[in-house]
Amino acid sequence: MALRAEPPDGGWGWMVVLSAFFQSALVFGVLRSFGVFFVEFVAAFEEPAARVSWIASIGIAVQQFGSPVGSALSTKFGPRPVVMAGGILAALGMLLAAFATSLTHLYLSIGLLSGSGWALTFTPTLACLSRYFSRRRSLATGLALTGVGLSSFAFAPLFQWLLSQYAWRGALLLVSALSLHLVACGALLRPLSLAEDPVVGGPGAQLANLLHHGPFLRYTVALTLINTGYFIPYVHLVAHLRDLDWDPLPAAFLLSVAAISDPVGRVASGWLGDAVPGPVARLLMLWTTLTGVILALYPGAQAPTALVALTVAYGFTSGALTPVAFSVLPELVGTGKIYCGLGLVQMVESIGGLLGAPLSGYLRDVTGTYTASFVVAGAFLLAGSGVLITLPHFFCLSAPTSKPQDPVTEALDTKVPLPREGLGED
Amino acid sequence: MRSLPSLRGPRAPPLPLLLLCLLAPVRRSSEDGRTPAASFTSLPVREEMMAKYSNLSLESHNISLTEHSDMPVEKNITLERPSNIELTCQFMTSGDLNSVNVTWKKGDELLENNYLINATGSILYTQYMFTIVNSEQMGSYSCFFEEKKEQRGTFNFKVPELHEKKKPLITYVGDSVVLMCKCQDCFPLNWTWYRSNGSVQVPVGVPMNNKYVINGKNANETRLKIMQLSEEDQGSYWCHAIFQLGESEERIELVVLSYWVPLKAFLGIAVEVVLLVAIILLFEMYTQKKKKHSDDGKEFEQIEQLKSDDSNGIENNAPRHRKNESVGQ
Repeated sequence: MALRAEPPDGGWGWMVVLSAFFQSALVFGVLRSFGVFFVEFVAAFEEPAARVSWIASIGIAVQQFGSPVGSALSTKFGPRPVVMAGGILAALGMLLAAFATSLTHLYLSIGLLSGSGWALTFTPTLACLSRYFSRRRSLATGLALTGVGLSSFAFAPLFQWLLSQYAWRGALLLVSALSLHLVACGALLRPLSLAEDPVVGGPGAQLANLLHHGPFLRYTVALTLINTGYFIPYVHLVAHLRDLDWDPLPAAFLLSVAAISDPVGRVASGWLGDAVPGPVARLLMLWTTLTGVILALYPGAQAPTALVALTVAYGFTSGALTPVAFSVLPELVGTGKIYCGLGLVQMVESIGGLLGAPLSGYLRDVTGTYTASFVVAGAFLLAGSGVLITLPHFFCLSAPTSKPQDPVTEALDTKVPLPREGLGED
Repeated sequence: MRSLPSLRGPRAPPLPLLLLCLLAPVRRSSEDGRTPAASFTSLPVREEMMAKYSNLSLESHNISLTEHSDMPVEKNITLERPSNIELTCQFMTSGDLNSVNVTWKKGDELLENNYLINATGSILYTQYMFTIVNSEQMGSYSCFFEEKKEQRGTFNFKVPELHEKKKPLITYVGDSVVLMCKCQDCFPLNWTWYRSNGSVQVPVGVPMNNKYVINGKNANETRLKIMQLSEEDQGSYWCHAIFQLGESEERIELVVLSYWVPLKAFLGIAVEVVLLVAIILLFEMYTQKKKKHSDDGKEFEQIEQLKSDDSNGIENNAPRHRKNESVGQ
């Protein structure tokens, strides 16, 4: 296959967007809607809620820590076979779970097996997407990630209906069939050879290279800090509202309001990221700072209108920072190393995600209210955006990053602000 | 009328007596400021009852009526165990309290005596005291105030109901299931389980074998565990909560499916996925073939162009050409 000088920015790329859209729906939408099964498992296995919640936790942990494996395999074999294999694993996990006789079965089948499947699908797909787009990368990523929000809406009622018709065993069987579509999504990921691929080498070399790459490490730290604070409202907002004497139904409704403004933020930010010249890291810093400020304002808001406004804003800004977070990476490390880079980032930032919620809960237990939790979460986000300032060429007014000027040199430095930086690293 | 003169003659003395008897109840209710003791003719009986059931709890309930109440007032009372009951009705009217006729009924049956009537200011009070020890004494007790219009207050006594609306339970052949009935704040004496074929209820689980197991963690719940489910076990199951004062029941629907039902859907979707993958890969192979053909053609064009460009001295066109082509695909 002929080597491309640069990403096609369209054409088959839009099919990759479609594939990524369905994949984020099938991976994260399923994970987020799994709470519907929660009640059934508690009743069927007569186990306490804490033990049942481990199923989802193991699944998420395996998906995130397994990301580098997915990335390394994709670098070697290309994303298509890896994602298709991941889809089969994910579906197999659910299929075996349908015949489970104890909670341990579920830990192994859904947690371990499906989790590994998801690890092999999500990261390679997003990396592949980054390789297909340069000018419209943020928009493409934003569009693809809206799959998460929309599927959470659709899957929760769907799963509830499946449960009412087939009970949890039959429902798991059908969720497995649903997850098989990941294989079809994987088939859409046509391999793409970019000019710099032979230069960057195999996965081992790339990983070693990345671990010595200063900006990449700083970026990983920033994302970890951001991840620590990011999930707090989704985890604790409802409980915080109940502390303020809200009824459960309006509180849950407020969370769905955030779920609506979230995809809007993703697409808007994606469009903005491509339209505005200069490093995308600046936009990431903007959205992160805004989200941090909003979180810090939460304890001060008592009136319902203020809380609703804050939640809508939080949904928008937190959704907005996701596509640009993925777009910064190709600018830093180049599309050649994108698979490994993304895998490493996902793995490290998941530490933040895992620690954030328990930390917030601990603060709540110690201080009695969620004030400290929200403020600390906001502080983490602001710290993360602070680290982002240290990224290279942050203060350049208008670096020639977004518009391809010279195809040949562009192919070699792939949108890093100064050509010398890209060449120097290799 | 014509018979009366003949009757009146020999019976002249009884008539005034008869009238007196008729007037007596009316007079009783029209006298004001009467003390309870004077109107309460069964006082000794009541005291006797109180002594016998003094260890029972006392339930007091109240209904207020006015002359303008256009709908009968009802109060539902949940009773689990035998108790002493004290029912009070009060009636407010601007008219004459003496002209109000007060009666108590259980269902449609008129209750004799055992009730007090009192009046203070413009409010008429009546109180009925009794004891409920068995299920026949449960039911509806009503107080009636008859003025121009009849005003009625009703106390409905019922055993606690198991009002949890349940969705049908879906299970699979070979699986086991637990049917549970729970009573919120009550403690039945006993629980029994039945299943129904049509309208007949058949007991279930009484000889405890390895198919049915009945147990319950607390007194206010019961669990029926059915093992080795088969399609014949499908149907309606009833749990009965037995109280001293009656029974209440709840229905649970059990559906038994075979694994084939969701499996069919699964296989259908799997086939669909395989088809999708095949279509995508075949389409790609097809477009690649096309591209290869057109690439051959374009390469030929490029070679021609290069030759002409070289002769023109413009070298930048070559990369741009290639770029245009690759973007165009």
